Amino acid sequence: MNIFRWWRGILFAFFLLALIRVFLPLPFSNEIIIFSIYVMGCSFLLGKVGFISFGQPAYLATGAYATAFYLFYFGTNPYIGILIGIAAGIIMSLIVGPLFVRLRSDYFALVNLALAVIIFYMMQKVLAPITQGDNGLWFLTNMKSTPILDITKPKEFYLFAFLVGLAVWAFYKYLNDTLYGACCLASKINEDKVNFLGYSNFRIRLMAFVIANTTTALAGSLYAIYLGFVSPEMTSAHRAADPVVVTILGGVGTLYGPLVGSVAFTGMKDLISNLIGNWELFIGFLLVFIMLAGEKGIWGSLEPRLKKVFSGKRA
Amino acid sequence: MIDTQLLISGVIFGLSIGSIFFLMAIGLSLCFGLMRIISLDQLLYYSVGAYITYTISVTTGSMWLGALGGLVVAGILSFAVERFIFLRIYERDIAFTMITSFGILIGGVGVIKAIWGLVPRPVPMPIMAQINIMGTEIPVYRLIVVVIAALVYAGIWLFLNRTITGKAIRAGIEDVEHVEGLGINVYRLFTITFIIAGTLSGLSGGLHAPLIMVDPQMGLEVMPFIFMVVIIGGLGSIKGTLISALIVGQVVSIGSLIYAPLAQMAPFAIMLLILLIKPTGLYGSKLLKR
Repeated sequence: MNIFRWWRGILFAFFLLALIRVFLPLPFSNEIIIFSIYVMGCSFLLGKVGFISFGQPAYLATGAYATAFYLFYFGTNPYIGILIGIAAGIIMSLIVGPLFVRLRSDYFALVNLALAVIIFYMMQKVLAPITQGDNGLWFLTNMKSTPILDITKPKEFYLFAFLVGLAVWAFYKYLNDTLYGACCLASKINEDKVNFLGYSNFRIRLMAFVIANTTTALAGSLYAIYLGFVSPEMTSAHRAADPVVVTILGGVGTLYGPLVGSVAFTGMKDLISNLIGNWELFIGFLLVFIMLAGEKGIWGSLEPRLKKVFSGKRA
Repeated sequence: MIDTQLLISGVIFGLSIGSIFFLMAIGLSLCFGLMRIISLDQLLYYSVGAYITYTISVTTGSMWLGALGGLVVAGILSFAVERFIFLRIYERDIAFTMITSFGILIGGVGVIKAIWGLVPRPVPMPIMAQINIMGTEIPVYRLIVVVIAALVYAGIWLFLNRTITGKAIRAGIEDVEHVEGLGINVYRLFTITFIIAGTLSGLSGGLHAPLIMVDPQMGLEVMPFIFMVVIIGGLGSIKGTLISALIVGQVVSIGSLIYAPLAQMAPFAIMLLILLIKPTGLYGSKLLKR
């Protein structure tokens, strides 16, 4: 049946995720899901549109702080908090998007990084009266328990995040199959031809920018609800590389790359910091090693082989 | 409005911080212009320069010797990195090299943490004297930094315009393939440029060390400012880098006199303004498809 074939990959991937949930500690699973949504935005931008952004933490913080403001000052419903986070992501992307997407790819990366650091300073110092600066906003107790699924509790939050993840992945898979997805790829490969075909590069890229960053903002909101607090540290310069590293690690532009990369990264982070305290060293060298070895990443190298295996079996 | 004394010291402060930004930004700009790579690891050579300065000045007591050692070690390190890593990836995408250099930067920060630890270290200022300019006490050291940067600019200008290698580099910035066609070994030019960039970054680290505490994250802290300098000035142009370094330095310094937290963000606002008018920066090269 056609529908089943379409969902097959996603269901299988999330089935594996559920297995992880069963066998490994809950915080690990929660972290993987949220982090991979975060990375998905970056991966989409880099892989399908060709833009590398060192400033994804900026949009993460946008979503997280928007949710935090709402929950700290105004209301108690976490779902509305998430919606506000998503809205903030859309608004932020629409504000900076028209300027940023016109830039060449290297300027784009640097400008996004500058944005991330600016937001960091703003949250830390300039708006300190309302953001409480480095102390962060704590609102875990503010959130009211929600009916059916109480997402203020980690176990039930996981179920919610799981479903959100499923939705996000379905969305991106759908996007791949649409005309718009093809446009993105075309824009990355040869923008002159896209112009000749009558499409507007600018509009394609702007839309992709908004989609990717809203995904990131969604991840930010999820982080806010899960952790119960936000602090400026999440958008500091050290964090700028995290999504890029994991994107490359998992496999740029692939659908499941972010999941694989996120599992590998979080797992490694945990293992390595138990062995050597200084894991930045490891991340740096790992990154260089991956780039030198071929930029496909874990899933990126596995995917073609798995495809061959599967289609070979049927033939 | 603002006290004249504060203003003068603010201007001098801005000039000195602008000089330091300039020394680092030249590296990024040159590397981009000639090799079309964004060499984020310049920030690593900055940190290395600062740390070596610290170590040498602690053991021998002379900060200038430390700065010299810093720039030498940074130069050697940049040579090693260029030979082993960048040589293999010159043909690839810009984004690719950017990620790789970022990886080197992060890895290098890790190495620094491993060797020197996490605690910020102070570096003694070599000259504590202050001279009196128009009624304000200015630290002589800051003036020396500005003078050094001016000398470096003159030196770079002479190098690029009066020596064969320099002219070859300028030609390479415009069109590498033609230079190769003339029979010049462009990979050697690349190496030379990269070493110059690394050495200058090491120098800037050494010079900056007495003004701030050296800590492992110092490269990452200064990164946004260097980016803004490079973006405003335009990648690939030395004059643009100089002008934008001066602008950013003044904005940061005088801005912090007016309203401190905003000063960190003001260069960003200026950068956005400039990008609106000229998407490649003030003196940047034409939009490349590469």
